[in-house]
Parts: sequence; C-alpha cells; structure tokens
Amino acid sequence: MSSPNANVPSANRRLETFTYDDQIVKWFVIATVIWGAIALLLGVTVAFQLADWRLNLGLPWTTFGRLRPLHTNAAIFAFCGNAIFAGIYYSHQRLLKARLFNDILSKVHFWGWQLVIVLAAITLPLGLSTGKEYAELEWPIDILITLIWVVFAVNFFGTIIRRRERHIYVAIWFYIATIITVAVLHIVNSMELPVTLTKSYSLYSGVQDALVQWWYGHNAVAFFLTTPFLGLMYYFVPKAANRPVYSYRLSIIHFWSLVFIYIWAGPHHLLYTTLPEWSQTLGMVFSVALWMPSWGGMINGLMTLRGVWNKVRTEPGLRFMATSLTFYGMSTFEGPLLSIKSVNSIAHFTDWIPGHVHAGTIGWNYMLIAGILFYLVPKLWNAELYSKRLANIQFWFATIGLVFYIVSMWIAGITQSLMWRAMDDAGRLLYPNFIETVIKIVPMYWVRAIGGTLVLTSFILMIINLYRTAKRGKPSEEAVFEAYALDDSSLEADSSTHRKLEGWPMIFSVLSLIAILVGSAIEIVPSLMSDKYITKVSAIKPYSPLELYGRDIYVREGCYLCHSQTVRPIPHEVLRYGKPSDASEFVYDHPFQWGSKRTGPDLARVGKKYPHMWHYKHFYDPREVTAGSIMPTYKWLFNQKIDYSTLPAKIAVMQKLGVPYSAEEIQTSVEKAKAQATEIAAELVQSGVPEKIVEMEVVALIAYMQRLGVDYTSMPAEEVASEE
Amino acid sequence: MKQDVLKHFDIQWLPLTGLIIFVACFSAYIYWTFKKSNKKMYDQASHIPLEEAHRASSLQKGHNV
Repeated sequence: MSSPNANVPSANRRLETFTYDDQIVKWFVIATVIWGAIALLLGVTVAFQLADWRLNLGLPWTTFGRLRPLHTNAAIFAFCGNAIFAGIYYSHQRLLKARLFNDILSKVHFWGWQLVIVLAAITLPLGLSTGKEYAELEWPIDILITLIWVVFAVNFFGTIIRRRERHIYVAIWFYIATIITVAVLHIVNSMELPVTLTKSYSLYSGVQDALVQWWYGHNAVAFFLTTPFLGLMYYFVPKAANRPVYSYRLSIIHFWSLVFIYIWAGPHHLLYTTLPEWSQTLGMVFSVALWMPSWGGMINGLMTLRGVWNKVRTEPGLRFMATSLTFYGMSTFEGPLLSIKSVNSIAHFTDWIPGHVHAGTIGWNYMLIAGILFYLVPKLWNAELYSKRLANIQFWFATIGLVFYIVSMWIAGITQSLMWRAMDDAGRLLYPNFIETVIKIVPMYWVRAIGGTLVLTSFILMIINLYRTAKRGKPSEEAVFEAYALDDSSLEADSSTHRKLEGWPMIFSVLSLIAILVGSAIEIVPSLMSDKYITKVSAIKPYSPLELYGRDIYVREGCYLCHSQTVRPIPHEVLRYGKPSDASEFVYDHPFQWGSKRTGPDLARVGKKYPHMWHYKHFYDPREVTAGSIMPTYKWLFNQKIDYSTLPAKIAVMQKLGVPYSAEEIQTSVEKAKAQATEIAAELVQSGVPEKIVEMEVVALIAYMQRLGVDYTSMPAEEVASEE
Repeated sequence: MKQDVLKHFDIQWLPLTGLIIFVACFSAYIYWTFKKSNKKMYDQASHIPLEEAHRASSLQKGHNV
C-alpha cells in the first residue's frame, strides 16, 4: 500500500491511480551523455591548445577564445543542465506520487533546451558573445532560455499542485531554490540593450557590471551546479543505498543556511579590485561561513551510507556517489579557503582557480551524474547494468585523471604566482617578463591535458556501458501506480509552523525568494547605485568609434579569457603593470572586461606601451615579438574588413546606456573611425605593411589596445587629488 | 576615490536589516527543526524517497489520472 502521509489515518481516503512520465527522463538522460561527451571533448581540446598553441589551427572558430566559452557553456548548461532535468523529473514524480504536470510542457522543455544548446554551439564559435563569463550567449538566446525556464517552472510547480504527498521532501526544496534563483540571476545579469540581432551591450558598466556578473557567476555555480545536485543527492543516495538520509534535520539546516549564505559570497571573485572594500570583506566572510552548510551536507550524504559501505565497494553507482560527496567536501573546503584575501592574492588569476573549478565540476558534478545514471539507466530501460568491471575502470580513469588535473593546476598556479611576486633585495621583480612565468608552467598544461583525456576516456567507457545496458533492456508495460489523493482529509493535526510551511510550496517558494533577495540586495543595491557615488573623472573619456569597434573584436575573440584588465593594489602588480586600477576608469565599459585569469599579462596599462607595429606583429604571430608565447595567431584580423556601417547604431546604443556621446558624434562616427584608422595605418605602412591594412579589423583592435589605461595614467596629479 | 561607494553609501539600514533578517530566520529554523516534538515527523519525512507508490491492481487502471 502507498505510504500514508505522516500523522494522517488512511481510512476514508480516496485512492487514485496514475503513471509516471519516464519517457522524458530517458530523453534527458540521452541528452546528458551526448552533451557530456561533447563538453569534455571541448575541454580536452582547449587544454591541449594551452599546452601547444598550434592546436588552435589558425582558424577563428577553432581558437581558444571562442572554444573555451563553448566548453564552459556545454559543461554547465548542456551536460549538467540535462542531467539536472533528468534527475529532477524522475525524482520529482516519485517524491510527489504524481505524473509531471503536462506532457507537452515536458517536450517543449526538452526540445527548447536542446535548441538553446545548439544555438550556443553555433553562435559561440562564430564569436557572437556578450563577453561575460558563463553568460556569453546573446540576447535572443537569453530570451529563449528565460521562456524555456518558465516552461520548466510551470511544469515543476504544476506537478507540486497535483501531488499526492503532503510533505515536500527536502530534495524538492533544493529544486525550488534552483528554479527561483537561476531565474533571478539570469534575468538580472542578462539585462542588455540590443544593437542588432547578434550584438548587444550590457546595461551595466565597470564596477557595477563586475559586481552583477560575479554575483551571477558565483551563484550560477551555487544554484546550477550545487543546489540542484544536492537535491538529487538527497534523493538518489538514499535510494541507491536503500537507507533514509542520515539526518533530515541537518538537511533542513543545510538548505536554509546554504540558500541564505551562498548568495552573499559573490564578491570574493573580485578581491583586490576596485570593488568597495566592505563588499569584498562581506563576500570573504560569507564564503568562509559557507564551510558549515557545505560540510553539513557532505557529512549528511556520507553518513547516509553508514552500514552499507560494503556496497560502495561493489555497486558502481554508490561508489560514484560517495566519491562525488568527498570531492564536494574538498572543493567546498578549497572555495572558502581561496576567498580569504591573503590566499586569494596568491591564487587569483592563476591556474589554481580552474583546478578548483574542475574539482567541483568533475569531482562533484560528473561523479554524481555518473552515480545517478548508473541508478537510472537500468531502471528506465528495465535491464541489469552491462558491466560493473567497466564501471570500475571508468571510476579509476576519472579519479586518476582528475587528480592529474587538480595537482598540475595547484603546482602551475602557485609556481606562477610566486614568480609574479618574486623580488630581489632592491625591490625589483625577479621575473619582469611575464612570458618567463608562462614557459615555466607549460609542462603542467600537458599534465592537465593528459588528465582531461583520462576523464574523457572514462566518460566514453560510461557511454558504452550505459548503451549496452539499455540495449539489453526488456520492453515492459507502462506501470500504473496508486496513492491517496491529497485532499482535506490528508491535513495533519497539531503540525508545527515550519511543518505547515513545508506543505505550502508557493509560500515556501516566496520565502526562498526572499532569502536570496536579502543577500542579493545587500550586494547589488549599492552597486546599482554606484554610478551615483563614483565620480566621473573628466580625464576619462568614452572610446572613439574605432576603439569601440576594436573593443567589440576583443570581446568577440574572447581575449578576456586570458588577459585581465585590472591592476590590483599589490606591490608586485604595481611594479609590473603600473598604477592600481580605479573605479572611475571603467564607467564607460559596457561590458567590463576585467577577466578572471592571466594566462597572458594584464592589459589595463598596455596603451601606448608599445608602438602600433608591435601589436601588428603580435596579432599576426605572437612569437615574433614574444619568444615562447602560447597565444594563438589572429591572422584573420588581417583579412576581415571593418564594417563601419554598424558604428552609428553601436554608438547610439552606448549613448542610451549613459555614455556621453553627442548626436554629432553619432553622425560623424564613421568618418572619425576612418580618420583614426588611416592614422594608425600610416604608421604601419611606414614600416612596410601593405596599404590595404587600413580597412582591416586588426587596425581597430590596435586602436583599442593603445587606448587602454591611457586616460587614467596620463591624468595630472592635481586632478587625481581633487577627485579624491 | 576607490572607496567612493563605501564612503558615500548612505543606506546603512540595508545591510543591517539583511543581517537581522538572516539571524532571525536562521534562529527560527534551528528552533523549529530541533524542536523535540518534531522529531517523529522528520523521521517519517526522511523515509519519503524509500516509500514509493505501489503498483495498482489491474481493476484500478481505469481511474488513471
């Protein structure tokens, strides 16, 4: 007999029959393995490209700057996204004893999400990017994502309304928090003004944009890669172990503290930047506080396996789940550690960060997904797992590959950071040439790529195993289930306030929304008001039309993925790059381009540092001016012509965003851009470059590079003092 | 100038209110969750994933919803 609701007698209650929609779960499972393989293949590709620049192939759409966003988007939204939907749709129906709300909505959700992924796979290699990490997709796709997410939410909440189980199990709380928070994050961070169908500018600029972006970036990890997976963990670990969760009370504390605290921690991505000091400290404190709920969840998951540890040795699904929880514990220990300002000053911009990220995405997400798939596929296809031995080989390939990845990135990150800051007794940099610090760590890039290959191999082994399992499945009739209807007779007497709250999903959702909005408001309100407080310095001027065009090329080629544009107020950075960055410098930057990784040097002060010819050679073949450089060539910039016709529209949009361009500047933008291009080209032609270069994109990019930091560094001392 | 936002940010009640809401809610959750009388309910709730709906008999298949 179906389980009665807690404290409710079963007499006189209406028994209903129903079926589950497992077909949609199957589709999402298939999409998970297909996109997972593609995401990992892209990851391995970009890893090898960093080890050997020639693997960029000299083509625009195969270059690191365009493939890396494709890798991250595929891993997060295609691989993990489809896995989340598969797991949620399977567990949600069973936890609520109800079929999904609407079969058509389920199908729209599935095909709509796959369409988003395909559009991403087409547009990102074409260089159609907003230039904001993990949110690179352009505005029409952003709108499509919003619509599909709404479809998912309606289907999800509709199922809750039709449920036959009074209590909303804790896994569903995590799902609710995911749906609400991802919607808020996506909408707020994707606010942009379109120029054309394929180009837009962020509504925010500079510091404001950075804060919003990393509030999104951090919480995309929290609410796309953590909370839904914790919900899945709270369902699938007890199911696979056939034991209830170790402490349901701990899971409640885990939920509320995670939802409250996680959202506050975004600014730890921007320590030592021009972000307000208090905001950085807030991010750091709450990041450290995250240790508690994260480890609470890990302990809860691992302790659920008490008494069945022998099964962890023999059952591949449980083994992957136990390992994923261990890596969850490790990466949630490392994350807060990295947010401590002194540790962050060492680790930020180095390879330690991708090492940390992959401990989470491979160790936690991939391992948990593998565990869930080993549970789901035999059940959905009505078959025994094809080979436990193959699953064990997969496990060791994945684990060893991940260890290679993490350890090599620790070594690379710490080595490079120590080299950056090494000084002699006279206070001079020991390694003033950035390239010295790159060459030193290239061997670690090879180790990382080999580790990634092992992980990819493990994934292929899993696909073979799951495919063979599904193939040997026996067809079965659609099962019909029965459970008591949820009507007035199922109401519980004497229940506590929180207990009642757990049965009111809509009110519960509103409270979850308030929880995340409280944290967000503290972070975002000051930032959204920052333009009121950040003095616009008269010396900081908007970009010229040609520089703006060059900036768009910078965004298109994903330069921000390897170069930062913010000098931290740390002695070795000031020695290496120059004046620390200031909030006022970025007021016209839609979007900001501070970056998060320095595979190459910071560019905030690169303007006028080198002649035009240096940049010309550098873009053609970086090794001509920097021996040992691992940067790809950008030879297509020498053949692709500048499309001047787009400039008036671009500048008009910038004007709408508050950049002080006059109507006259919009009208004359094309002539001004051509005049500046002619000026730059003249200098290049003097050095023997063909005259036709004046029409090519590289000139616009040079114009942009030569502008970086120039206004601020050339500002008279008295103006700096008066502004302060 | 770097600290402009902090120096001039005059809505001090905002972070303070956030902190109060956070502490108050968190204390309330702790209280409700660890209240002795709720133990039985939470123990039952923890079994929900293990208590799947049972398969219906063939006579009841006509009432599928």
